[in-house]
Amino acid sequence: MSFASIVDWDALLTVVWASVAAGVGVTAAYGLVILGATRAVDLGRAGRSGEALLFGVVGALAIVAVFAAIVFGIVVLSE
Amino acid sequence: MEGELLTVIIVVATALAFDFTNGFHDTANVVATSISTRAMAPRIAVGYAAVLNFAGAFISLEVAATVASDVVDPGSITLLVVFGGLVGAIAWNLITWYFGLPSSSSHALIGGIVGAMLVAQGPDSIFFGEGIVGKVMIPALVAPTLAFLVGGISILVLYRIVGRLRPGPVTGGFRGGQIVSGGLLALAHGTNDAQKTMGVIALALVAYGSLPAGDPTPPFWVIFSAALAIALGTYAGGWRIIKTMGSRIHKMDSAQGFAAQGAGAAVILASSHGGFPLSTTHTISGAVIGSGAAKRLSAVRWGVAGNIVTAWVLTLPAAAGIGALTYGVTRIFGTGAGGPVIVSVLILAGSAFLFTKRAQQSVSGPAASEA
Repeated sequence: MSFASIVDWDALLTVVWASVAAGVGVTAAYGLVILGATRAVDLGRAGRSGEALLFGVVGALAIVAVFAAIVFGIVVLSE
Repeated sequence: MEGELLTVIIVVATALAFDFTNGFHDTANVVATSISTRAMAPRIAVGYAAVLNFAGAFISLEVAATVASDVVDPGSITLLVVFGGLVGAIAWNLITWYFGLPSSSSHALIGGIVGAMLVAQGPDSIFFGEGIVGKVMIPALVAPTLAFLVGGISILVLYRIVGRLRPGPVTGGFRGGQIVSGGLLALAHGTNDAQKTMGVIALALVAYGSLPAGDPTPPFWVIFSAALAIALGTYAGGWRIIKTMGSRIHKMDSAQGFAAQGAGAAVILASSHGGFPLSTTHTISGAVIGSGAAKRLSAVRWGVAGNIVTAWVLTLPAAAGIGALTYGVTRIFGTGAGGPVIVSVLILAGSAFLFTKRAQQSVSGPAASEA
C-alpha cells in the first residue's frame, strides 16, 4: 500500500481550501465591518455625508456576509 | 454477564471522566485568547465556552465514526482495551496539566487505545495505514501548519484593511468580534473533541455487544452525556494553561486574537466535517503563533513554542505506553471487573494527590515570592 493511497487527499484538500476561504474570508469581511463603521462615523462628523453613507453600506454588507458565512458553515457541518 | 455490565459501566464512566479532563485541560486554550486581549472577563469566557462546547457536540458525528471504525478493528475490541486506552490518556493529561504543558487530549486518547490494543490483540488489529497515518498523523501535521498560515495571512489582511484607522474603535471592534470568534472556537472544540469520547464509548458498546461492529453510531444518550461532560470540564477550567497559551507564547492585540480564533475555528470545523480527529490544542497553538509571527517574529516566545512542540511529539508514544501498561496491569486480575475497579481506585488516588500538590503550590507560591 503506497503512502499516496492511504491518505484521503480529496478530504484533506477540502479542509485546506475551506479553512483558507472561511478563516481569511470571514476575518477580512469583519475588518471591512470595522473599516466601514469607523470611517462612516468619522466622515459623518466631518460633514461628508455621501462618503459616510458609502462606508456605512460597505460595513453593513460586510456584517451580513460574516453572519451568512457562519450560518452556512454550521449548516454544511450539520448535514 | 453481570461482571461485564459492571465493567462497561466503569468504562463509560471512565470515558466521561476523560471527556471532563479534556474540557478541563483543553478549553483553557479556547478562552485564553479572549482573556489575554481582555475581550472577556475570565469567568464569563469560561462559562460562555462551556455552553458552546455543549452545543458543538451535537453538530456532527463524522469524527466519532472515525474513532469508532477507522483507528482499531472494532470487531476485536474488548472492554479492557478501551479501559486501558482511556486510563493512558487520562494519566497523560494529568501529567501535562501538572507541569503546565499544553498537550493533545485527542492524541493521548488515540495513543492510549492503540497502545492497549497492540498489547492485547497484536499489530493486525490496528489500522496503521489509512487509519493512524491517513486520518490522525497527516492531519496532525497539516492542521497546525494550516492554522499557522491562515492566522498569519488573516492578520496581514486585517492590518492592511484597518491599519490607518484610529486605534480606539479598532481595538473595541475586534474585542466585540472576539465574542463571535471565541464562540466559534468553543463550538469547534466541542464538535471535534466530544466526538472522540463518543467514538470510544461506541467502541465499548461494540465490545459489550449492544452496538454492531459494522455500524457503531453512538446513541443519543452517549452524545448527550459526552456533551455534558466536556462542558462541565470546561467550566471547571484550567487556569494554569490559560496563562501559558494566552500570554506566554506572545502578547497579542485584539486583532491578532480575532485572527487566531477565526483561523483555529475554521480549521477545526473544516476538519471535523472531513472526519479528522485533530488535536484542537495543536491547531489553536498554530493559529496563535501564526498571528504573532506575521506581525513580528521576535514577538513570539519561541522557547515556549518549542516546549509545546516537545509535548506534541511525546503525546502519542507516551499515552500508548501508559495505555499498554494499564491493560497489562488490569489483565493480571482477569477479564472481569476486578482489574478496572482496582486501576480506577489507583487513578483516582493519583489524581487526588496531583490536585492536592498543585493546590498547595498555588497557595504557597505567591506568599513565598513576597517573603
